[in-house]
Amino acid sequence: MTGTWVDIAFGVFAVAAAWFGWRVFVTDSMVRATFSLLASFLNVGAILVLLLAEYLGVAMFFMMGVEMTVMAIYMVAFMMNPAGLNPMQMVHQPRVAVVVGVLSTAGFGAVALAADLDTVAIVDPDGTIRALGHELMGSSMLVMQVVGVTLVATMVGAVVLSAASGRFGPADVGSVPPAIVPGDDTTRPGVDVGGDGGGHDHDHGHGGGAHGHDDGGDA
Amino acid sequence: MIEVAGAAHPVVGALVVVAVLALGAMAVAVTESVVTAHVAGSPLGSAWSRPWRRAALVLARPQPVTERPDTLLWVLAPAAYVGMAALGLTVLPLGTVWAVADVRTGIVVLGSAEVLAMVAVFLHGWAPNSPLPLVAGYRFVAAGLSFLLLSIFVLIAAALPAESMSFGRIVASQEDGAWNVLRQPLGLPLFLVVALAVSLHGPLDVADAGELAGGTTAEVSGPARLAWGFARRAMLTTYAVATAVVFLAGPAGPLLPGWAWLAVKSLAVVVVLVWIGQRTARVPVERFVRVAWTVLLPLSFLHLAIAGVVTLA
Repeated sequence: MTGTWVDIAFGVFAVAAAWFGWRVFVTDSMVRATFSLLASFLNVGAILVLLLAEYLGVAMFFMMGVEMTVMAIYMVAFMMNPAGLNPMQMVHQPRVAVVVGVLSTAGFGAVALAADLDTVAIVDPDGTIRALGHELMGSSMLVMQVVGVTLVATMVGAVVLSAASGRFGPADVGSVPPAIVPGDDTTRPGVDVGGDGGGHDHDHGHGGGAHGHDDGGDA
Repeated sequence: MIEVAGAAHPVVGALVVVAVLALGAMAVAVTESVVTAHVAGSPLGSAWSRPWRRAALVLARPQPVTERPDTLLWVLAPAAYVGMAALGLTVLPLGTVWAVADVRTGIVVLGSAEVLAMVAVFLHGWAPNSPLPLVAGYRFVAAGLSFLLLSIFVLIAAALPAESMSFGRIVASQEDGAWNVLRQPLGLPLFLVVALAVSLHGPLDVADAGELAGGTTAEVSGPARLAWGFARRAMLTTYAVATAVVFLAGPAGPLLPGWAWLAVKSLAVVVVLVWIGQRTARVPVERFVRVAWTVLLPLSFLHLAIAGVVTLA
């Protein structure tokens, strides 16, 4: 009886994971795409829990939640789609992707259906898994730790270098905003062109501040 | 998968979770009302009925319409937030040897609920397609990425003496030794910060009404607003229970049954949290992020190191 419920749950999670994965590429917004991908990962995590890889599954909920949130914010910040509600094309090289997708699905499907897979748990007769565990957690541990600390130091360094207020003073000293009309320096924000020069400043500030609005708001 | 507590039937477990969240949210609402009346020096008599009258008032208001909102996500965000409060509650022991699912990965499940609650708050601000809620959503993510790390280090420290990530084992380790509130004194204040922040309460209510012209709820009114109010109080309930379990040995105690001890301790935590919320000013999110990374996070490292040394000693 429990086995039946596990089978049903597996089917539901698998279909949901595939469906949300498909949604990533048909939606027209970065935020929707990112959180559809998160939903797909959550379903994969649930399948891992069903497969008794409990920690891996739950860790996937945790890690993908943080990762996809950060990704959504970076996508909105760096893609030309403020607030994620304007339409945009979500696919690159669709023909190649379709061919690769069909081939890999067929390949994995053929392996799953045709291969003579073991139905009983492998007891690790050669001690391979145990040896791998000892290798990772034993003599190679120092290497892993050094790599980990190096990665953290790199991330902290990247944040320090990109921060607006660094230890050597503000990072934007000497930088100038680009001209609104390319090539015409008199339209550069902050440049006083005589008379009411502050007008450009104001216009620019307003345009920047209104990014949260949908474009439809102008109509 | 089940370590300490007996497994509940799924239907029983679901009913218990719904009942605890509903009762807890009501208790939080009444506590808020009573504490407010006490702080303001007004008579306590009407404080007991005020939450109900206020809920009826909120329910009767119409919902404004924004331009091209993501209606599905907007409706689902409060549900997802309550769902994460429920997910967190399932792994917490609610009786002496009883939890809905006392899994081996308990603290990771609670951490996941916290992360996905952050996603729900962000989408609650994003979905109306309106500037102020969107800004509030971003601000909450900035705060969230800061307090998530705190909560993980505090929970790992609690898992060290228990030698397990299961909340049942964490309670058992406190019954054998001292309560974590004494054994790991830095943990409780750090975890209260997390509880206030994740449930959008008090000084760390960086995403909700009153902050930045309305926060994520700026465009929300009527039944949806009532649902969001319930969701925040349900989340506070889950984190009050988690605080009681991790630091006050949860259901452990003499004479009374386990669930009664847990209820008493959780209610005490709720009163403390609501009291802090009433007596402290809202913290600007920039300042909170700065304090979180430069003060609280190093403190949580120190806390974890001390917990490790004490466990080994």
